[in-house]
Amino acid sequence: MEIVSGLVSYALAKFLFLSRLSNKEDAGKIKKMEEKVLEVYDIIRTIRDPEKPNSLEELEVVAEECIEVKSLDDDEYLIIIHFKPTVPHCSLATLIGLCLRVKLQRCLPFKHKLEIYISQGSHSTEEDINKQINDKERVAAAMENPNLREIVEQCVIEPDD
Amino acid sequence: MKRRLALEARFSAHPDSRAWYVAWSPSGTLLASCGGDRAVRIWAREGSSWLCKCLLEDGHQRTVRKVSWSPCGTYLASVSFDATTCIWRKKEAVFELLTTLEGHENEVKSVAWAPSGSLLATCSRDKSVWVWEVDEDDDYECVSVLNAHTQDVKHVIWHPNGEFLASGSYDNSIKLYKEEDDDWVCVDTLEGHESTVWSIAFDKTGEHLVSCSDDKTVKIWKAYRPGNEQGVICSGSDLSWKCVCTLSGFHSRPIYDISWCHMTDAIATACGDDAIRIFEKDPGSDPHQPTFSLMAHIAKAHTQDVNCVAWNPKQAGLLASCSDDGDIAIWMYEFED
Amino acid sequence: MVSQFSGVLQLTDLDDFITPSQECVKPVKVEKKPGKTSGIIRIEDDGSYIQLNQDGGIKKLEKAKITLNDCLACSGCITSAESVLITQQSHEELYKVLNQNKVSGSEHQKLVVVSVCPQSRASLAAKYKLQVTDTARRLTAFFKNLGVHYVFDTTFSRNFSLLESQCEFVQRFQRQKEDSKALPMLASACPGWICYAEKTHGSYIIPYISTTKSPQQVMGSLIKDYFAKQQNVMPDQIYHVTVMPCYDKKLEASREDFFSEDNHTRDVDCVITSGEVLKMLEQEGLSLTNVDPVPLDTLLSSEADAEVTGHSGGGSGGYLEHVFKHAAKELFGIDVHEITYKTLRNKDFQEVTLERDGSVLLRFALAYGFRNIQNLVQKLKRKKLTYHYVEVMACPSGCLNGGGQIRAEGPESSKDLLQQVEELYTSVKVQAPEANESVKKLYEQWLEGADSSKSLKMLHTQYHAVEKLNSALNIKW
Repeated sequence: MEIVSGLVSYALAKFLFLSRLSNKEDAGKIKKMEEKVLEVYDIIRTIRDPEKPNSLEELEVVAEECIEVKSLDDDEYLIIIHFKPTVPHCSLATLIGLCLRVKLQRCLPFKHKLEIYISQGSHSTEEDINKQINDKERVAAAMENPNLREIVEQCVIEPDD
Repeated sequence: MKRRLALEARFSAHPDSRAWYVAWSPSGTLLASCGGDRAVRIWAREGSSWLCKCLLEDGHQRTVRKVSWSPCGTYLASVSFDATTCIWRKKEAVFELLTTLEGHENEVKSVAWAPSGSLLATCSRDKSVWVWEVDEDDDYECVSVLNAHTQDVKHVIWHPNGEFLASGSYDNSIKLYKEEDDDWVCVDTLEGHESTVWSIAFDKTGEHLVSCSDDKTVKIWKAYRPGNEQGVICSGSDLSWKCVCTLSGFHSRPIYDISWCHMTDAIATACGDDAIRIFEKDPGSDPHQPTFSLMAHIAKAHTQDVNCVAWNPKQAGLLASCSDDGDIAIWMYEFED
Repeated sequence: MVSQFSGVLQLTDLDDFITPSQECVKPVKVEKKPGKTSGIIRIEDDGSYIQLNQDGGIKKLEKAKITLNDCLACSGCITSAESVLITQQSHEELYKVLNQNKVSGSEHQKLVVVSVCPQSRASLAAKYKLQVTDTARRLTAFFKNLGVHYVFDTTFSRNFSLLESQCEFVQRFQRQKEDSKALPMLASACPGWICYAEKTHGSYIIPYISTTKSPQQVMGSLIKDYFAKQQNVMPDQIYHVTVMPCYDKKLEASREDFFSEDNHTRDVDCVITSGEVLKMLEQEGLSLTNVDPVPLDTLLSSEADAEVTGHSGGGSGGYLEHVFKHAAKELFGIDVHEITYKTLRNKDFQEVTLERDGSVLLRFALAYGFRNIQNLVQKLKRKKLTYHYVEVMACPSGCLNGGGQIRAEGPESSKDLLQQVEELYTSVKVQAPEANESVKKLYEQWLEGADSSKSLKMLHTQYHAVEKLNSALNIKW
């Protein structure tokens, strides 16, 4: 739990930093973050649900509001995503987490660190799932499992409509 | 007293892939690296540049996660997400694949050779730690399977005198094991970290253990013997380990590796915020409540997460690091007393 | 929750956080059909699933339930199997049946049979500081007072397991030239080992495993086939409970191979551990020492209150010793009276050889505990295993140290307790299976002779490689 609160305080610090900027009427910076959010959302909204023929956007698993972008450095950003799994069983929630991570790693054109969480209260084993989908070693190993890889590839492929 | 970490060299080690781990040979002349390209590479310095002396391929089917040199420097063990451990033997300038150890159910995460050279420890996603014994014919047999952890075991190391084995896990704990009768048993569990323990290291005396975690802290643990004056309770004749220092607030992302230099006593950390940090114990601080200071901080040591740091065992201050960016960097920790 | 299964099984379990039976649902992959979508599935506040069809209709979806068989067939977690087992096979279930019997008319009553294994009896004897035969009589009384009709001893069914193992080995030895997988023969009595072999090594190891049923499952055949006919009841009218030293035995009883489609019944309906019997005693507020003993039951009515007997060759059933002596005699005409065990790498890995004129005729081993199983399997895979027969058991120190045995308490060390249990276990009179007259009679009357198709059906089984999951939807990573 402490990790999460650590994140919150970190997020808060960044927020204050940003609000100070806005006080100085540095609205350009804020606008830039909003653009980044859109950029991220555009990549993840078309990801297909592993179980259903719909996209994460259609199923309301992800929405623009669930994305936060913060500047870490001149050209590096911290992206925090909170998603809402469709069903409360963990194998699918972790799979969606995997899809989000893989697609962003591949498609985001700017340098970033990524944190993915399940939105609060949407899953009975929330903390466990958050831990697993943010363990980069486990994610790397999962993507070398041919069966998992295949299903993730199917989910992250751009829809040809 | 001033310290500086100076970059000596940087080279692409596992291009288009992650460099997961580096390990110095016992003589300090060779550096082995492994990564997401399923290969192990052996590096040596020639003049001012570092050259790849050997490429160890075809041993593993998936990412090679860690490597460990035997104390004699003749053998190299590599472990992989393909659930196997490869033992390579150095023959003059080349390495041959001697044998492949199977048995773990899933990804093998770490490997360590005991100081005696006759025992090898591996740990895995399958939650177990295995101890293997090698005989004169280079035959490996499993002597113990330890199921003490409840989750993925991330790292395993031997105590410098070979008496203990220690492991860190996704279950947030560190476990210590020793040999009893003809089997190894878990004798102590160190709890305190609030997330995955990514790596652990002993100091040169073996009296201290340092651990780093996904919770962004570093903890120093000290061994207390039965009958100690501080009143730390020990069970029977076993040592008791107590956390004597926590370093928090220095790291902004998970800390993936830690190395305790047996020559200079400096502690280096590899962090997910792309930085390398060096800590030293403050001179004259209370041994039961030691304090440590950040002596050097390279914010952009790599362009991505730093996965590993390793102090050279023979050349004081020489440090190797590797990263998700596929590079290895060689650093010199300079003392400006 | 700490898993109570043997370490062998825990290793194959990757699951970190499922609380099964409620959370574990079978994910189903839906193929994307061009043109139309089938509707949206929504979760209601109460956790139920609702499908919204495109025409605006609403349909409540049923939640798929996970049965124990789904768990066993899955190469995923064992923890799921565990909590399913706890609800399906426990002393609570036995109580349920006994209570049901008390309230239902005689035509709906079940005939309740409990078969106690000698390892559990020794564990209870050590707990209450009683002699073994005395423990057996008091245990019989305890169960009968609860409403159990018959209490038997699985030592009796082990006679069949031992005799069949002996014959099977000799047959395998004789066909080793034609059949490269005839030897080594690996013992089959330990369900933890069987489960591990099936899940992890599949078709590679299975041919080497003896097809002989374990004493628990032979007892199942005896009760649901022979005894049911004797009592003139249908097999499903009998509720058969075994008392065993390990949790893995619950998995064994649940195997599909031991379920009769025709009779809709399992050979063993419920398995409870030594520790669960202790729990029952405590629940009744009883100590075994103040239960008055009663005479023991026997399967064949001709025998009077028999004394408890046992088999030679150690606390895991004596398979190595019996097969060794029989094979030495049958194959080489050598009478072996004393067997010398040579301890190899550790106390749980021992070797026995039969030599003549300096050459080795038979080389047997016992390999207990996961580390020794591991070396065995690896050597077998590398074709470096030189044994003809291996008695394989998943638990270190074998069955007397099973995970379901009563644990040491207070200052008593588990090592001392194990030694006491061992001493009690071996304190009974030893009888060779060939010398048991009732067994002989049953081979004639029940099984229509040794090697008959009936004996094959009643005393042998088969193994199945567990396919690795091919649906990525429930892969644990």
